[in-house]
Amino acid sequence: MDLTFSEAQEILRKMARDFLSTECPKTLVRELQDSEKGYSPDLWKKMAELGWMGLIIPEEYEGMGYTFQDLTVLLEETGRNILPGPLVCTILSTFPILDAGSEEQKKEFLPKIAIGELIFSTALLEAEGTFDASGIAAKATPKGDDFVINGTKLFVEMAHVADYLICAARTKDGASPEEGITLFIVDTKTPGVHCEVIPTIALDKQCEVRLENVSVPKKNMLGELDKGWPIVQKLLEKGAIAKCAESIGGMQAAVEMTIAYSKERVQYGRPIGAFQALQHMMADMWSSMETSRYLVYEAAWMESEGLPCSKEVSMAKAYVNEAYNYVSKWGIRLHGGIGTSRDHDIPLYYHLAKAADTAFGGTDFHRELVAQKIGLI
Amino acid sequence: MDFRFTDEQMARRKEFLEVCVELEKLKPAEFIGFESTYNYDSCWEYDRHCAKEFAKRGWLTLEWPPEYGGSGTMMDRVLFSEARGYHGIPGIDVFGVGMLAPTLLAAASEEIKKEFLPPIAAAEITWCELWSEPNAGSDLASLTATAVKKGDEYILNGQKTWTTGAHKADWGFGVFKSDPEARSHHNLSFLLFDMKTPGITVRPLPYMNGETIYNEVYFDDVHVPAKNIVGQENEGWAVVNTLAGFERSNIDQIMGMVRGLETLVAYCNETKRNGQPLAKDPLIRNRLAQTACDIEAARTLAYRVADLQNRHEMSLMDASSLKIFASDLGERLALLATDILGPYGQVKLSRWAPMNGYWEALYDECFVFTISMGTNEIQKNIIAWYGLGLPRMK
Repeated sequence: MDLTFSEAQEILRKMARDFLSTECPKTLVRELQDSEKGYSPDLWKKMAELGWMGLIIPEEYEGMGYTFQDLTVLLEETGRNILPGPLVCTILSTFPILDAGSEEQKKEFLPKIAIGELIFSTALLEAEGTFDASGIAAKATPKGDDFVINGTKLFVEMAHVADYLICAARTKDGASPEEGITLFIVDTKTPGVHCEVIPTIALDKQCEVRLENVSVPKKNMLGELDKGWPIVQKLLEKGAIAKCAESIGGMQAAVEMTIAYSKERVQYGRPIGAFQALQHMMADMWSSMETSRYLVYEAAWMESEGLPCSKEVSMAKAYVNEAYNYVSKWGIRLHGGIGTSRDHDIPLYYHLAKAADTAFGGTDFHRELVAQKIGLI
Repeated sequence: MDFRFTDEQMARRKEFLEVCVELEKLKPAEFIGFESTYNYDSCWEYDRHCAKEFAKRGWLTLEWPPEYGGSGTMMDRVLFSEARGYHGIPGIDVFGVGMLAPTLLAAASEEIKKEFLPPIAAAEITWCELWSEPNAGSDLASLTATAVKKGDEYILNGQKTWTTGAHKADWGFGVFKSDPEARSHHNLSFLLFDMKTPGITVRPLPYMNGETIYNEVYFDDVHVPAKNIVGQENEGWAVVNTLAGFERSNIDQIMGMVRGLETLVAYCNETKRNGQPLAKDPLIRNRLAQTACDIEAARTLAYRVADLQNRHEMSLMDASSLKIFASDLGERLALLATDILGPYGQVKLSRWAPMNGYWEALYDECFVFTISMGTNEIQKNIIAWYGLGLPRMK
């Protein structure tokens, strides 16, 4: 047992932290959050030069060939710094291509993703807002050499700038909701694809994607017909841990900012950090972060090793959803009035905590999965 | 990062589990948790039997240096605690094995080590810890019981309280004021003494459930050999604060909760209310799942602490954080379980009590973990002052 990071991972962490603090300061974060595009093409190019989009893409497809655990090291840093843009949704989209794509599809898309030439996102949620298979109603009907997709996807990250979307649609009505789901790689330039940004608390450009008679070539079917649900489940697991890793980074930032503020802010003739009530809250914030940390690391490690870990993933996501809310909320409260100001950085994390909570399964969704995994009938 | 154990560690773990499985079969019905050890004669005998089984295998000294009989690492000790915790097996003298032995190894003279370590290793002598006083709990340094040097003896006078198992223990270790004129933290001495020494009176301090776990201990001119000192005279405070070598993973308590949750799940699957198993109630599902997540968070942090200790590193912050989290979780779990049990949640061990009255007992006993070994509030101070660098109010 060795619960430390390797030297290579620590180098990746430091490099990412230094890069992001220089290239994506909070002024740029706010600018991008307020902008229409939501990301910086210049910054995107620089990250491509570092190989970030291709971090977990195998070298044979022009990627860096790193592990899933290495990715979570990077994501802790993007979460800590805050990085608006389609980096994470693009990286996550590579997983279903790697899991289920044909050799032609891998060769067509992965190298371009790795060099930053393509932006991808995944379109899973619909009107019901559930990550259960029953929430998928968009239909894909075969027509000649294509499938024609009709339906509306919601909360698709950065869809308005994405080149392609990995879209889950129903190709057959099966005995259970999990049967008859198929994944497609949809070119967003295809006639009938309409993206509109939904205003959300974290200003993270989650989109409504209306698909009206969108023709997708059969060669862009990802994996087998009607058998897409297991691929979606794996993506949900990886997405959940990815969000958890970002959340750990965000909690770290909130804790550090709050401690620093409590040492500078003077009231009643002393730094407010000298008052025990606040000291205990900060100790609780730190503990909440630290108890999250190793739970996430365990799930990330198991995922990296290819070990079955759906229970651990759901445990981590359910736990971290609440922890990030708790830490970021107390971060605001311990800053007092200034913590509620739009100009202050601490509320950014509170907003991101809500977004992270809803992505890839909320607390109660994952708790139900845990309930099943611990043996409740 | 690697959460796996080596083949050797897995083999040891298997061995620990096999012995604990067999010992669990001998557990008396009234043994519901560690506190039962002190409250029932049958449980005390069971505890001693387990201790001897462990001693003969060298398992009470696993992480000790080899020259004192150690045969493994701190991680082996943690794996042993894991097995004992899951099966609810006592036999580790919390005070002798858990606290005094690592303290002696870190701070005592060779003579003291030679005299006192072997009987601990052999489970021949049991110990109690005499620190707290009526006016000195969290603020231990303000204690007033005295140890006055006279020739080659110390004469002890005063009163200790909350002394776990004093009514059973063979020997005691305590801290006494040995120089009333010296400045605070440099006026205390750490002494070892036979609990049968004339002048020592033990009176039970019944716990809120009526059990005899704690005691008041009175010292009336108790003569103890001056050689039975750990560390230097008047420098006992530093000895009290020796945490090096203390196993701080709390994994035994956490594995007890793992086991507890399993029994609760089984109970909910088998027990009906309103025409359906409790397991189908969405609120019960949600709360049990939440607890399962919390327990896993505790378990992974426990391994973090264990890994650090195995490398002879210590994160005071992680250890304090874990102590707070695991003990608070025990309280929450007891509340949840007794909620799920409905009116049966209040029933003591008897034919009406589900799961042997385990949860009713834990509902009362959970405070043992939140208050002792440094209250959770003190632990938060430790995190804040020594971990986060926040200023202490003068």
